[in-house]
Amino acid sequence: MAVPQILQTIEQTGISTWIRESDSVFGFYFFLTLHGIGMSLVVGGNLIIDLRILGFAQALPLKPLKRLFTLMWGGLILNVLTGIALFTAYPTKESTNIDFYVKLTFVALGVIAMKKVSDRVFGDLSLSEESMLARGQALAKWSLLFWFLAVTAGRLLSETAIYDTYGHLAGG
Amino acid sequence: MMNLAHLHLLLNHFPIIGTMIAVALFLLSFVGKNTDLRRASYIIFAGIALLSIPTFMSGYTAEAWIQNGKDVSQVLIDRHKGSAMLSFWFMEFTGAFALVGLWQSQKTSRPANWNVAVVFLLSLLTVGLMARTGNTGGDIHHAELRGDNELLVNGKVVEGPIGSIASRFEPSPDKFMNAMVFSKWWWTFMMILHYMGLILIVATVGFLDLRIMGFMKQVPIRPVHEFIPWGMLGLGINVLTGMLGFIGQPNNYIFKEDFWMKILCLMLLGLNVALFYMTDVFEGVENVGAGEDAPIFAKLVAGTSLFLWFAVITFGRFIQFSFDTFKIN
Repeated sequence: MAVPQILQTIEQTGISTWIRESDSVFGFYFFLTLHGIGMSLVVGGNLIIDLRILGFAQALPLKPLKRLFTLMWGGLILNVLTGIALFTAYPTKESTNIDFYVKLTFVALGVIAMKKVSDRVFGDLSLSEESMLARGQALAKWSLLFWFLAVTAGRLLSETAIYDTYGHLAGG
Repeated sequence: MMNLAHLHLLLNHFPIIGTMIAVALFLLSFVGKNTDLRRASYIIFAGIALLSIPTFMSGYTAEAWIQNGKDVSQVLIDRHKGSAMLSFWFMEFTGAFALVGLWQSQKTSRPANWNVAVVFLLSLLTVGLMARTGNTGGDIHHAELRGDNELLVNGKVVEGPIGSIASRFEPSPDKFMNAMVFSKWWWTFMMILHYMGLILIVATVGFLDLRIMGFMKQVPIRPVHEFIPWGMLGLGINVLTGMLGFIGQPNNYIFKEDFWMKILCLMLLGLNVALFYMTDVFEGVENVGAGEDAPIFAKLVAGTSLFLWFAVITFGRFIQFSFDTFKIN
Protein backbone atom coordinates (compact mmCIF):
# COMPACT_ATOMS: atom_id res chain seq x y z
CA MET A 1 0.00 0.00 0.00
CA ALA A 2 1.34 3.45 -0.90
CA VAL A 3 1.39 5.48 2.29
CA PRO A 4 1.34 9.27 1.86
CA GLN A 5 4.56 10.99 2.95
CA ILE A 6 2.54 13.62 4.86
CA LEU A 7 1.85 10.99 7.52
CA GLN A 8 5.56 10.57 8.21
CA THR A 9 5.90 14.34 8.36
CA ILE A 10 3.17 14.49 11.03
CA GLU A 11 4.81 11.66 12.99
CA GLN A 12 8.11 13.50 13.01
CA THR A 13 6.66 16.64 14.59
CA GLY A 14 7.45 17.31 18.22
CA ILE A 15 3.85 17.04 19.36
CA SER A 16 3.31 13.69 17.66
CA THR A 17 6.54 12.25 19.01
CA TRP A 18 5.82 13.51 22.51
CA ILE A 19 2.31 12.07 22.71
CA ARG A 20 3.46 8.76 21.25
CA GLU A 21 6.74 8.20 23.09
CA SER A 22 6.63 10.22 26.29
CA ASP A 23 6.97 8.43 29.62
CA SER A 24 4.79 11.10 31.18
CA VAL A 25 1.40 10.04 32.60
CA PHE A 26 -0.02 12.90 30.48
CA GLY A 27 1.07 11.18 27.26
CA PHE A 28 -0.76 8.81 24.97
CA TYR A 29 -2.58 6.81 27.64
CA PHE A 30 -3.84 9.98 29.30
CA PHE A 31 -5.55 10.98 26.06
CA LEU A 32 -6.79 7.43 25.64
CA THR A 33 -8.30 7.51 29.14
CA LEU A 34 -10.04 10.82 28.45
CA HIS A 35 -11.27 9.38 25.16
CA GLY A 36 -12.78 6.48 27.09
CA ILE A 37 -14.44 8.84 29.56
CA GLY A 38 -15.83 10.92 26.71
CA MET A 39 -17.16 7.76 25.10
CA SER A 40 -18.86 6.81 28.38
CA LEU A 41 -20.58 10.22 28.52
CA VAL A 42 -21.75 10.16 24.89
CA VAL A 43 -22.78 6.53 24.64
CA GLY A 44 -23.96 6.33 28.24
CA GLY A 45 -26.19 9.37 27.86
CA ASN A 46 -27.61 8.03 24.60
CA LEU A 47 -28.23 4.69 26.29
CA ILE A 48 -30.33 6.27 29.05
CA ILE A 49 -32.40 8.37 26.65
CA ASP A 50 -32.84 5.56 24.11
CA LEU A 51 -33.90 3.04 26.76
CA ARG A 52 -36.39 5.55 28.18
CA ILE A 53 -37.85 6.24 24.74
CA LEU A 54 -38.18 2.49 24.16
CA GLY A 55 -40.20 2.10 27.33
CA PHE A 56 -37.85 1.34 30.25
CA ALA A 57 -38.25 3.15 33.57
CA GLN A 58 -41.61 4.58 32.52
CA ALA A 59 -41.94 6.50 35.79
CA LEU A 60 -38.98 8.63 34.69
CA PRO A 61 -40.29 11.89 33.21
CA LEU A 62 -38.97 12.32 29.67
CA LYS A 63 -38.75 16.11 29.33
CA PRO A 64 -36.06 16.72 31.99
CA LEU A 65 -33.79 14.25 30.19
CA LYS A 66 -33.14 17.00 27.65
CA ARG A 67 -30.45 18.20 30.06
CA LEU A 68 -28.48 15.02 29.45
CA PHE A 69 -27.63 16.38 26.03
CA THR A 70 -25.32 18.89 27.70
CA LEU A 71 -23.24 15.99 29.05
CA MET A 72 -23.41 14.15 25.75
CA TRP A 73 -22.28 17.07 23.60
CA GLY A 74 -19.57 17.77 26.19
CA GLY A 75 -18.42 14.16 25.91
CA LEU A 76 -18.41 14.41 22.14
CA ILE A 77 -16.26 17.56 22.21
CA LEU A 78 -13.88 15.80 24.59
CA ASN A 79 -13.70 12.87 22.18
CA VAL A 80 -13.07 15.07 19.15
CA LEU A 81 -10.20 16.83 20.93
CA THR A 82 -8.65 13.66 22.36
CA GLY A 83 -9.29 11.89 19.06
CA ILE A 84 -7.24 14.53 17.25
CA ALA A 85 -4.44 14.07 19.79
CA LEU A 86 -4.52 10.29 19.38
CA PHE A 87 -4.56 10.59 15.59
CA THR A 88 -1.65 13.03 15.75
CA ALA A 89 0.38 10.42 17.62
CA TYR A 90 -0.36 7.62 15.14
CA PRO A 91 -1.53 9.10 11.83
CA THR A 92 -0.21 6.24 9.72
CA LYS A 93 -1.68 3.58 11.97
CA GLU A 94 -5.14 5.11 11.86
CA SER A 95 -5.43 6.45 8.33
CA THR A 96 -4.25 3.19 6.73
CA ASN A 97 -6.77 1.16 8.74
CA ILE A 98 -10.19 0.68 7.15
CA ASP A 99 -11.68 0.06 10.58
CA PHE A 100 -10.82 3.66 11.49
CA TYR A 101 -13.16 4.92 8.77
CA VAL A 102 -15.80 2.38 9.76
CA LYS A 103 -15.63 3.72 13.31
CA LEU A 104 -15.87 7.35 12.16
CA THR A 105 -18.86 6.44 9.97
CA PHE A 106 -20.74 4.87 12.86
CA VAL A 107 -19.79 7.76 15.15
CA ALA A 108 -21.14 10.18 12.53
CA LEU A 109 -24.35 8.17 12.20
CA GLY A 110 -24.66 8.05 15.99
CA VAL A 111 -24.20 11.81 16.24
CA ILE A 112 -26.81 12.37 13.50
CA ALA A 113 -29.23 10.13 15.38
CA MET A 114 -28.44 12.01 18.61
CA LYS A 115 -29.16 15.36 16.94
CA LYS A 116 -32.40 14.04 15.42
CA VAL A 117 -33.54 12.75 18.82
CA SER A 118 -32.70 16.13 20.34
CA ASP A 119 -34.65 18.00 17.65
CA ARG A 120 -37.53 15.64 16.95
CA VAL A 121 -38.24 14.23 20.43
CA PHE A 122 -37.12 17.10 22.66
CA GLY A 123 -37.54 19.98 20.18
CA ASP A 124 -41.04 20.90 21.36
CA LEU A 125 -41.49 20.43 25.10
CA SER A 126 -45.12 21.56 24.91
CA LEU A 127 -46.01 18.19 23.38
CA SER A 128 -47.36 15.42 25.56
CA GLU A 129 -44.93 12.74 26.66
CA GLU A 130 -46.76 10.16 24.55
CA SER A 131 -46.28 12.26 21.43
CA MET A 132 -42.61 12.80 22.23
CA LEU A 133 -42.05 9.07 22.72
CA ALA A 134 -43.82 8.19 19.50
CA ARG A 135 -41.49 10.50 17.55
CA GLY A 136 -38.41 8.73 18.79
CA GLN A 137 -39.10 4.99 18.63
CA ALA A 138 -37.24 4.18 15.41
CA LEU A 139 -34.50 6.73 16.10
CA ALA A 140 -33.79 5.24 19.53
CA LYS A 141 -33.24 1.78 18.05
CA TRP A 142 -30.94 3.09 15.32
CA SER A 143 -29.04 5.16 17.87
CA LEU A 144 -28.38 2.15 20.08
CA LEU A 145 -27.18 0.16 17.05
CA PHE A 146 -24.90 2.90 15.72
CA TRP A 147 -23.23 3.53 19.06
CA PHE A 148 -22.79 -0.20 19.70
CA LEU A 149 -21.10 -0.53 16.31
CA ALA A 150 -18.99 2.59 16.90
CA VAL A 151 -17.66 1.23 20.21
CA THR A 152 -17.00 -2.16 18.63
CA ALA A 153 -15.16 -0.66 15.67
CA GLY A 154 -13.14 1.52 18.04
CA ARG A 155 -12.11 -1.43 20.13
CA LEU A 156 -11.04 -3.32 17.01
CA LEU A 157 -8.64 -0.58 15.90
CA SER A 158 -5.59 -2.00 17.63
CA GLU A 159 -6.25 -5.47 16.22
CA THR A 160 -6.83 -4.41 12.63
CA ALA A 161 -3.93 -1.97 12.25
CA ILE A 162 -1.60 -2.66 9.33
CA TYR A 163 1.08 -0.16 10.30
CA ASP A 164 2.31 1.03 13.67
CA THR A 165 4.20 4.04 12.39
CA TYR A 166 5.37 5.07 8.94
CA GLY A 167 7.34 2.27 7.37
CA HIS A 168 6.84 -0.05 10.33
CA LEU A 169 4.26 -2.81 10.20
CA ALA A 170 2.04 -3.37 13.23
CA GLY A 171 3.19 -6.15 15.52
CA GLY A 172 6.63 -6.04 13.93
CA MET B 1 8.59 -7.50 54.68
CA MET B 2 5.02 -7.89 53.46
CA ASN B 3 4.41 -8.77 49.83
CA LEU B 4 1.47 -9.81 47.67
CA ALA B 5 1.82 -13.43 48.80
CA HIS B 6 0.84 -12.20 52.28
CA LEU B 7 -2.23 -10.61 50.68
CA HIS B 8 -3.37 -14.01 49.46
CA LEU B 9 -2.80 -15.61 52.86
CA LEU B 10 -4.81 -12.81 54.47
CA LEU B 11 -7.70 -12.81 52.00
CA ASN B 12 -8.13 -16.54 51.44
CA HIS B 13 -9.82 -17.00 54.81
CA PHE B 14 -12.75 -14.77 53.84
CA PRO B 15 -14.28 -16.87 51.03
CA ILE B 16 -13.84 -20.10 52.99
CA ILE B 17 -15.21 -18.97 56.34
CA GLY B 18 -17.52 -16.33 54.88
CA THR B 19 -19.42 -18.83 52.75
CA MET B 20 -19.86 -21.11 55.77
CA ILE B 21 -21.35 -18.25 57.80
CA ALA B 22 -23.55 -17.14 54.90
CA VAL B 23 -24.84 -20.67 54.25
CA ALA B 24 -25.54 -21.15 57.96
CA LEU B 25 -27.58 -17.94 58.07
CA PHE B 26 -29.30 -18.87 54.82
CA LEU B 27 -30.35 -22.28 56.12
CA LEU B 28 -31.48 -20.77 59.42
CA SER B 29 -33.63 -18.32 57.48
CA PHE B 30 -35.90 -21.21 56.44
CA VAL B 31 -36.83 -21.60 60.10
CA GLY B 32 -39.87 -19.38 60.49
CA LYS B 33 -39.18 -17.83 57.03
CA ASN B 34 -36.95 -15.18 58.56
CA THR B 35 -36.51 -12.54 55.83
CA ASP B 36 -33.92 -10.60 57.82
CA LEU B 37 -31.62 -13.61 58.10
CA ARG B 38 -32.11 -14.37 54.42
CA ARG B 39 -31.25 -10.81 53.49
CA ALA B 40 -28.17 -10.93 55.70
CA SER B 41 -27.00 -14.15 54.06
CA TYR B 42 -27.53 -12.66 50.60
CA ILE B 43 -25.50 -9.60 51.53
CA ILE B 44 -22.67 -11.81 52.77
CA PHE B 45 -22.79 -13.91 49.57
CA ALA B 46 -22.52 -10.76 47.46
CA GLY B 47 -19.73 -9.33 49.62
CA ILE B 48 -17.75 -12.57 49.59
CA ALA B 49 -18.18 -12.84 45.81
CA LEU B 50 -16.59 -9.39 45.49
CA LEU B 51 -13.77 -10.19 47.92
CA SER B 52 -13.09 -13.46 46.08
CA ILE B 53 -11.83 -11.45 43.13
CA PRO B 54 -8.63 -10.13 44.76
CA THR B 55 -8.33 -13.40 46.69
CA PHE B 56 -8.20 -15.35 43.44
CA MET B 57 -5.91 -12.88 41.73
CA SER B 58 -3.46 -12.71 44.62
CA GLY B 59 -3.14 -16.47 44.35
CA TYR B 60 -1.09 -15.91 41.21
CA THR B 61 1.28 -13.57 43.01
CA ALA B 62 1.55 -16.06 45.87
CA GLU B 63 2.46 -18.69 43.27
CA ALA B 64 5.16 -16.45 41.81
CA TRP B 65 6.62 -15.77 45.24
CA ILE B 66 6.45 -19.35 46.47
CA GLN B 67 8.08 -20.69 43.32
CA ASN B 68 11.02 -18.34 43.62
CA GLY B 69 13.81 -20.63 44.71
CA LYS B 70 11.55 -22.73 46.91
CA ASP B 71 11.09 -26.46 46.81
CA VAL B 72 7.37 -26.73 46.15
CA SER B 73 5.42 -29.07 43.94
CA GLN B 74 3.99 -27.49 40.77
CA VAL B 75 1.53 -30.41 40.65
CA LEU B 76 0.09 -29.39 44.03
CA ILE B 77 0.02 -25.74 43.00
CA ASP B 78 -1.87 -26.57 39.80
CA ARG B 79 -4.27 -28.76 41.78
CA HIS B 80 -5.03 -25.82 44.06
CA LYS B 81 -5.38 -23.44 41.08
CA GLY B 82 -7.82 -25.74 39.34
CA SER B 83 -9.86 -26.08 42.52
CA ALA B 84 -9.78 -22.30 43.01
CA MET B 85 -10.99 -21.71 39.45
CA LEU B 86 -14.01 -23.91 40.02
CA SER B 87 -14.91 -22.57 43.46
CA PHE B 88 -14.36 -18.99 42.29
CA TRP B 89 -16.88 -19.21 39.45
CA PHE B 90 -19.44 -20.88 41.69
CA MET B 91 -18.90 -18.10 44.23
CA GLU B 92 -19.40 -15.41 41.58
CA PHE B 93 -22.62 -16.98 40.33
CA THR B 94 -23.87 -17.35 43.92
CA GLY B 95 -23.08 -13.68 44.54
CA ALA B 96 -24.72 -12.61 41.27
CA PHE B 97 -27.97 -14.41 42.07
CA ALA B 98 -27.82 -13.06 45.62
CA LEU B 99 -27.62 -9.52 44.18
CA VAL B 100 -30.63 -10.27 41.97
CA GLY B 101 -32.46 -11.53 45.06
CA LEU B 102 -31.57 -8.37 46.98
CA TRP B 103 -32.94 -6.27 44.14
CA GLN B 104 -36.14 -8.33 44.09
CA SER B 105 -36.42 -7.86 47.88
CA GLN B 106 -36.60 -4.11 47.36
CA LYS B 107 -39.71 -4.52 45.23
CA THR B 108 -41.54 -7.36 46.95
CA SER B 109 -39.89 -7.56 50.42
CA ARG B 110 -38.37 -10.96 49.59
CA PRO B 111 -36.54 -12.72 46.74
CA ALA B 112 -38.55 -14.76 44.25
CA ASN B 113 -38.90 -18.47 44.99
CA TRP B 114 -36.85 -19.44 41.95
CA ASN B 115 -34.05 -17.18 43.18
CA VAL B 116 -34.05 -18.78 46.63
CA ALA B 117 -33.87 -22.22 45.02
CA VAL B 118 -30.94 -21.24 42.81
CA VAL B 119 -29.01 -19.59 45.65
CA PHE B 120 -29.72 -22.63 47.85
CA LEU B 121 -28.21 -25.01 45.30
CA LEU B 122 -25.28 -22.81 44.32
CA SER B 123 -24.32 -21.86 47.86
CA LEU B 124 -24.20 -25.46 49.09
CA LEU B 125 -21.95 -26.40 46.20
CA THR B 126 -19.83 -23.29 46.72
CA VAL B 127 -19.18 -23.88 50.42
CA GLY B 128 -18.01 -27.41 49.64
CA LEU B 129 -15.81 -26.27 46.78
CA MET B 130 -14.31 -23.48 48.91
CA ALA B 131 -13.44 -25.99 51.62
CA ARG B 132 -11.76 -28.14 48.96
CA THR B 133 -9.84 -25.10 47.71
CA GLY B 134 -8.65 -24.27 51.21
CA ASN B 135 -7.59 -27.86 51.70
CA THR B 136 -5.65 -28.07 48.46
CA GLY B 137 -3.99 -24.74 49.24
CA GLY B 138 -2.83 -26.02 52.61
CA ASP B 139 -1.40 -29.14 50.99
CA ILE B 140 1.08 -27.06 48.98
CA HIS B 141 3.27 -26.07 51.88
CA HIS B 142 1.90 -27.76 55.00
CA ALA B 143 3.20 -31.32 55.05
CA GLU B 144 1.89 -31.71 58.62
CA LEU B 145 -1.68 -31.74 57.21
CA ARG B 146 -1.02 -34.93 55.28
CA GLY B 147 0.07 -36.99 58.26
CA ASP B 148 1.56 -40.28 57.14
CA ASN B 149 -0.27 -40.22 53.84
CA GLU B 150 1.81 -39.64 50.75
CA LEU B 151 0.03 -37.09 48.62
CA LEU B 152 2.21 -37.45 45.56
CA VAL B 153 3.00 -40.85 44.08
CA ASN B 154 5.02 -40.90 40.86
CA GLY B 155 4.32 -37.20 40.44
CA LYS B 156 0.54 -37.60 40.60
CA VAL B 157 -1.78 -36.59 43.40
CA VAL B 158 -3.42 -39.36 45.36
CA GLU B 159 -6.90 -38.04 46.10
CA GLY B 160 -9.29 -39.19 48.78
CA PRO B 161 -12.85 -40.26 47.92
CA ILE B 162 -14.28 -36.71 47.86
CA GLY B 163 -11.22 -35.28 46.14
CA SER B 164 -11.47 -37.92 43.43
CA ILE B 165 -14.96 -36.70 42.54
CA ALA B 166 -14.16 -32.99 42.86
CA SER B 167 -10.98 -33.21 40.80
CA ARG B 168 -12.92 -34.47 37.77
CA PHE B 169 -14.68 -31.10 37.52
CA GLU B 170 -11.69 -28.90 38.24
CA PRO B 171 -10.26 -27.29 35.11
CA SER B 172 -6.63 -27.55 34.13
CA PRO B 173 -5.16 -24.08 34.80
CA ASP B 174 -2.93 -24.23 31.73
CA LYS B 175 -5.74 -25.31 29.42
CA PHE B 176 -8.05 -22.62 30.79
CA MET B 177 -5.33 -20.01 30.32
CA ASN B 178 -4.59 -21.14 26.77
CA ALA B 179 -8.30 -21.13 25.93
CA MET B 180 -8.43 -17.42 26.74
CA VAL B 181 -5.51 -16.46 24.51
CA PHE B 182 -5.81 -18.95 21.65
CA SER B 183 -7.10 -16.22 19.33
CA LYS B 184 -6.65 -12.45 19.36
CA TRP B 185 -10.24 -12.16 18.06
CA TRP B 186 -11.62 -14.02 21.07
CA TRP B 187 -9.54 -11.72 23.29
CA THR B 188 -10.79 -8.66 21.42
CA PHE B 189 -14.41 -9.89 21.68
CA MET B 190 -13.99 -10.16 25.47
CA MET B 191 -12.55 -6.64 25.62
CA ILE B 192 -15.42 -5.26 23.49
CA LEU B 193 -17.86 -6.78 25.96
CA HIS B 194 -15.77 -5.25 28.78
CA TYR B 195 -16.27 -1.81 27.20
CA MET B 196 -20.01 -2.43 26.84
CA GLY B 197 -20.21 -3.40 30.49
CA LEU B 198 -18.32 -0.25 31.40
CA ILE B 199 -20.81 1.89 29.46
CA LEU B 200 -23.77 0.19 31.14
CA ILE B 201 -22.27 0.87 34.57
CA VAL B 202 -21.23 4.47 33.94
CA ALA B 203 -24.55 5.34 32.29
CA THR B 204 -26.81 3.92 34.97
CA VAL B 205 -24.81 4.33 38.17
CA GLY B 206 -23.38 7.62 36.91
CA PHE B 207 -26.89 8.97 36.17
CA LEU B 208 -28.07 8.04 39.66
CA ASP B 209 -24.97 9.54 41.29
CA LEU B 210 -25.29 12.78 39.32
CA ARG B 211 -28.98 13.14 40.23
CA ILE B 212 -28.26 12.54 43.92
CA MET B 213 -25.52 15.16 43.74
CA GLY B 214 -28.02 17.67 42.38
CA PHE B 215 -27.77 17.48 38.57
CA MET B 216 -31.10 17.33 36.73
CA LYS B 217 -33.20 18.08 39.79
CA GLN B 218 -36.39 18.04 37.69
CA VAL B 219 -36.18 14.26 37.80
CA PRO B 220 -37.38 12.30 40.87
CA ILE B 221 -34.79 9.80 42.12
CA ARG B 222 -36.88 6.64 42.33
CA PRO B 223 -37.33 6.13 38.55
CA VAL B 224 -33.63 6.86 37.98
CA HIS B 225 -32.91 4.00 40.35
CA GLU B 226 -34.93 1.73 38.03
CA PHE B 227 -31.97 1.70 35.63
CA ILE B 228 -29.71 0.01 38.20
CA PRO B 229 -30.41 -3.55 36.96
CA TRP B 230 -28.75 -2.51 33.67
CA GLY B 231 -25.75 -1.44 35.73
CA MET B 232 -25.79 -4.79 37.50
CA LEU B 233 -25.81 -6.47 34.09
CA GLY B 234 -22.79 -4.35 33.13
CA LEU B 235 -21.04 -5.34 36.34
CA GLY B 236 -21.73 -9.01 35.65
CA ILE B 237 -20.37 -8.70 32.11
CA ASN B 238 -17.26 -6.96 33.39
CA VAL B 239 -16.54 -9.40 36.21
CA LEU B 240 -16.90 -12.26 33.70
CA THR B 241 -14.78 -10.74 30.93
CA GLY B 242 -12.31 -9.20 33.35
CA MET B 243 -11.66 -12.47 35.13
CA LEU B 244 -11.43 -14.45 31.89
CA GLY B 245 -8.94 -11.88 30.63
CA PHE B 246 -6.98 -12.10 33.86
CA ILE B 247 -6.83 -15.91 33.71
CA GLY B 248 -5.58 -15.62 30.12
CA GLN B 249 -2.67 -13.31 30.91
CA PRO B 250 -2.11 -13.07 34.67
CA ASN B 251 1.51 -11.95 34.39
CA ASN B 252 0.34 -8.91 32.43
CA TYR B 253 -1.42 -7.72 35.55
CA ILE B 254 -0.16 -9.08 38.85
CA PHE B 255 3.10 -7.16 38.98
CA LYS B 256 1.54 -3.79 38.16
CA GLU B 257 0.56 -1.18 40.70
CA ASP B 258 -2.16 0.26 38.43
CA PHE B 259 -3.88 -3.10 38.27
CA TRP B 260 -4.02 -3.49 42.05
CA MET B 261 -5.18 0.13 42.41
CA LYS B 262 -8.07 -0.68 40.04
CA ILE B 263 -8.98 -3.72 42.12
CA LEU B 264 -8.72 -1.69 45.35
CA CYS B 265 -11.08 0.94 43.88
CA LEU B 266 -13.55 -1.85 42.98
CA MET B 267 -13.45 -3.13 46.57
CA LEU B 268 -13.98 0.42 47.87
CA LEU B 269 -16.96 0.70 45.53
CA GLY B 270 -18.36 -2.42 47.14
CA LEU B 271 -18.06 -0.74 50.54
CA ASN B 272 -19.67 2.38 49.09
CA VAL B 273 -22.62 0.36 47.78
CA ALA B 274 -22.98 -1.33 51.18
CA LEU B 275 -22.97 2.11 52.83
CA PHE B 276 -25.61 3.32 50.37
CA TYR B 277 -28.06 0.45 50.74
CA MET B 278 -27.42 -0.89 54.24
CA THR B 279 -27.63 2.39 56.11
CA ASP B 280 -30.41 4.96 55.85
CA VAL B 281 -28.77 6.70 52.88
CA PHE B 282 -30.96 4.92 50.32
CA GLU B 283 -34.10 5.47 52.39
CA GLY B 284 -33.20 9.13 52.50
CA VAL B 285 -32.98 9.48 48.69
CA GLU B 286 -35.56 6.94 47.51
CA ASN B 287 -38.47 9.34 47.82
CA VAL B 288 -36.67 12.53 46.80
CA GLY B 289 -39.04 14.06 44.27
CA ALA B 290 -38.69 16.40 41.32
CA GLY B 291 -37.11 19.67 42.37
CA GLU B 292 -35.98 18.32 45.73
CA ASP B 293 -32.48 17.93 47.10
CA ALA B 294 -30.92 14.75 48.45
CA PRO B 295 -29.33 14.85 51.94
CA ILE B 296 -25.72 16.03 52.13
CA PHE B 297 -24.35 12.67 53.23
CA ALA B 298 -26.08 10.97 50.28
CA LYS B 299 -24.38 13.46 47.95
CA LEU B 300 -21.05 12.56 49.51
CA VAL B 301 -21.67 8.84 48.95
CA ALA B 302 -22.75 9.49 45.35
CA GLY B 303 -19.76 11.72 44.69
CA THR B 304 -17.44 9.07 46.10
CA SER B 305 -19.04 6.49 43.81
CA LEU B 306 -18.54 8.68 40.75
CA PHE B 307 -14.94 9.42 41.68
CA LEU B 308 -14.14 5.74 42.25
CA TRP B 309 -15.69 4.62 38.95
CA PHE B 310 -13.59 7.16 37.06
CA ALA B 311 -10.57 5.98 39.03
CA VAL B 312 -11.36 2.41 37.93
CA ILE B 313 -11.49 3.54 34.29
CA THR B 314 -8.23 5.50 34.61
CA PHE B 315 -6.25 2.79 36.40
CA GLY B 316 -7.67 0.19 34.04
CA ARG B 317 -6.57 2.17 31.01
CA PHE B 318 -3.10 2.73 32.42
CA ILE B 319 -2.40 -0.97 33.05
CA GLN B 320 -1.13 -1.30 29.49
CA PHE B 321 1.07 1.77 29.88
CA SER B 322 2.72 0.91 33.16
CA PHE B 323 5.72 -1.28 33.77
CA ASP B 324 5.97 -3.96 36.44
CA THR B 325 6.09 -2.32 39.85
CA PHE B 326 6.49 -5.37 42.06
CA LYS B 327 9.55 -7.54 41.78
CA ILE B 328 10.11 -10.95 43.27
CA ASN B 329 13.17 -10.98 45.52
